[in-house]
Amino acid sequence: MKLSNEIVADIKRDYVYQKLRNNERIDGRGFTEFRKIRIETGIIDKAEGSAVVRIGDTEVMVGIKMQPGEPFPDTPDRGVIISNAELVPLASPTFEPGPPDENSIELARVVDRGIRESEAIDLEKLCITEGEEVWLVFIDIHVLDDDGNLQDASALAAISALLNTTIPNERFGYGDDEILPVRDLPVSVTSLIVDEMILVDPSSDEEKLSKSRITITTDTHDNIVAIQKSGAYTLTEDKLYEVVDISIEKAREIRALLRDV
Amino acid sequence: MKEVISPERKIVLPGDLIGKNPKKAGPGTYVENNRVYAGIFGLLDEKSLRVIPLKGRYIPEVGNLVIGIIEETQSNGWSVDIDSPYEAFLPVSEYPGRIPQGKDPKDIMKTGDVISAKVVNIDPLMRVYLSMKDRNAKILNRGRLVEIIHTRVPRVIGRKGSMVSLLKKELGISIIVGQNGRIWVFGEEDKANIAIECIKIIEREAHTDGLTERITEYIKNAKKRPERS
Amino acid sequence: MEDIKLIVDGRRIDGRKPDELRNVKIEAGVLKRADGSCYIEMGNNKIVAAVYGPRSLHPKHLQNPNRVVVRYRYNMAPFSVDERKRPGPDRRSVEISKVSKEAFEPVIIKELFPRSSIDIFVEVLQADAGTRVAGINAASVALADAGIPMKGLVSAVAVGKVDGEIVLDLVKEEDNYGQADIPVATFIRAGKIEGITLLQMDGRVSKDELKKALELAKKGCMEIYRMQKEALINRCRGDEIVE
Repeated sequence: MKLSNEIVADIKRDYVYQKLRNNERIDGRGFTEFRKIRIETGIIDKAEGSAVVRIGDTEVMVGIKMQPGEPFPDTPDRGVIISNAELVPLASPTFEPGPPDENSIELARVVDRGIRESEAIDLEKLCITEGEEVWLVFIDIHVLDDDGNLQDASALAAISALLNTTIPNERFGYGDDEILPVRDLPVSVTSLIVDEMILVDPSSDEEKLSKSRITITTDTHDNIVAIQKSGAYTLTEDKLYEVVDISIEKAREIRALLRDV
Repeated sequence: MKEVISPERKIVLPGDLIGKNPKKAGPGTYVENNRVYAGIFGLLDEKSLRVIPLKGRYIPEVGNLVIGIIEETQSNGWSVDIDSPYEAFLPVSEYPGRIPQGKDPKDIMKTGDVISAKVVNIDPLMRVYLSMKDRNAKILNRGRLVEIIHTRVPRVIGRKGSMVSLLKKELGISIIVGQNGRIWVFGEEDKANIAIECIKIIEREAHTDGLTERITEYIKNAKKRPERS
Repeated sequence: MEDIKLIVDGRRIDGRKPDELRNVKIEAGVLKRADGSCYIEMGNNKIVAAVYGPRSLHPKHLQNPNRVVVRYRYNMAPFSVDERKRPGPDRRSVEISKVSKEAFEPVIIKELFPRSSIDIFVEVLQADAGTRVAGINAASVALADAGIPMKGLVSAVAVGKVDGEIVLDLVKEEDNYGQADIPVATFIRAGKIEGITLLQMDGRVSKDELKKALELAKKGCMEIYRMQKEALINRCRGDEIVE
């Protein structure tokens, strides 16, 4: 399908750009302002945990499945996290069926890194028999509607779904079900860089202006646990620190929403 | 998008029986066994036995003025996206100006440029040909582009162009309405914003009565808003 | 497994009578980017369908000079079932996609859009037996919502044989331990069933039982049809619940 390259009218792109030059975003938001965030959990009973996150019109569902399996040889006493993202063609005229492309792989890996590096899940508690059997935690990201910033919607849906996850001990004959212990709340904040400007939580109209993105994931102690610079551009150190400051502050606001999940 | 439809309009679904006179069957219907059925989801116009679509892709017709985006430049013309299942072609010969010696089509218009043009021919394979030799045809390299559901275009134009005239006159701006649902607006920013807000209202409330009055009122109030610097 | 009783005193394991559908909820127009969309819950099935098109079809050799090409992709989310499903198409979903597409082809008025394609995407978010028919019900509403010309709507249910009885709209346990599963899709025009556009069956039934099953399927399809209609009309009346 040729549609993967969405044709954008220059004057439309120019308008979004002109507004930015006048310090305005087309939807009237401040440069560091997120669109409205809504989190719903526990939608999929078949999953051990699930969540739908909407950021504006962007909508992502994450389902968590758990099953016993073999540990990695170098971590025989730790559970395993496996993250996967599907940009299903239902979600955008530009998505095509087929095996995960570089965009969906990057999306999943950045989400994975935030959860792993913040040690949000205590993997040692997911050991069943050392060296033989541990819990495998599958984080499946399913994009439903792409109106921009899939990265943050996916990360937020992933941690929300984990907060809602029950270890299915009963089903596998390991005693009573228990709540999956979540020790930290990693939150990612993605910014689009347009010229020297930083646009937090870019919408799909804004994403057509530039492919230069940066995602900063922080934990509850404001530590940075993951960074992903995405797109072919040169990032200055000053810009990076500016983005980091913004991301820490924004992540705190979003984390407050997670405490109600 | 949430529609606003006056309750007296009858909504029909594909397959609803709407008439028994095949000779009267209009657009949005089909005939089988001498009966007329609705062929699309939409609003029934009982008088002319047609179904007015609520949504659906634009299918070009000869004579339509459309707003297109240049997709690709070829040696003999441009392929143009007209927001339809069928891309259109504008041959160099249908470009109004002369292409100077030593220059080729890509020096005149490039991918992403916006134009208004007329549909002049459609062959049986649905290959669509455009011409810019028309007084409404232009290269639109400034201004704003709005997209609405193409089926609402007649309301934006209004009876004999009354709605467009109203917007132009009250706001002192230029507007070109493409039959394909793309609308070009050019003028002072605040006025253009009001026009775009009006177009969105017309789109949403296309199937209600008293639209002209409401738009007149809306413009009156909007013009009182403090100007943004 | 023969001794599991799935019907006791005329009631099924979820309390339904043999000829009763599960709770069905249908909402049209749920996605922004798609041309048409629909969300359906049929019992514990949760499914979303999107329609794109008619749109230009590339590469060119896939085009048909006389009519639109209909494509259908049925896909299960990895978390939609008890045992995680590996992402991507498997043999089962390829077959379901094929027969589901064929359930719509006789109903879509294809001659109007030569050389183009209509793409139907069905995502199963949670599965509990009967996902293909629930997906077809959602796709049918999404097609109408997208303004695609059709001769009518397609409405579908599964019927089957459980504990020797013919029942409507099986749940997973009935599907697993029953004696037959028969998914059926019908083309409905002007409130009347014109014909069957999808029919599959696995298990074992007599001819009389099959007849009885189809009668029950027709009754179920008519009920679904009424709900599909309601969902589409609600979409423009604007009286559904706004979040």
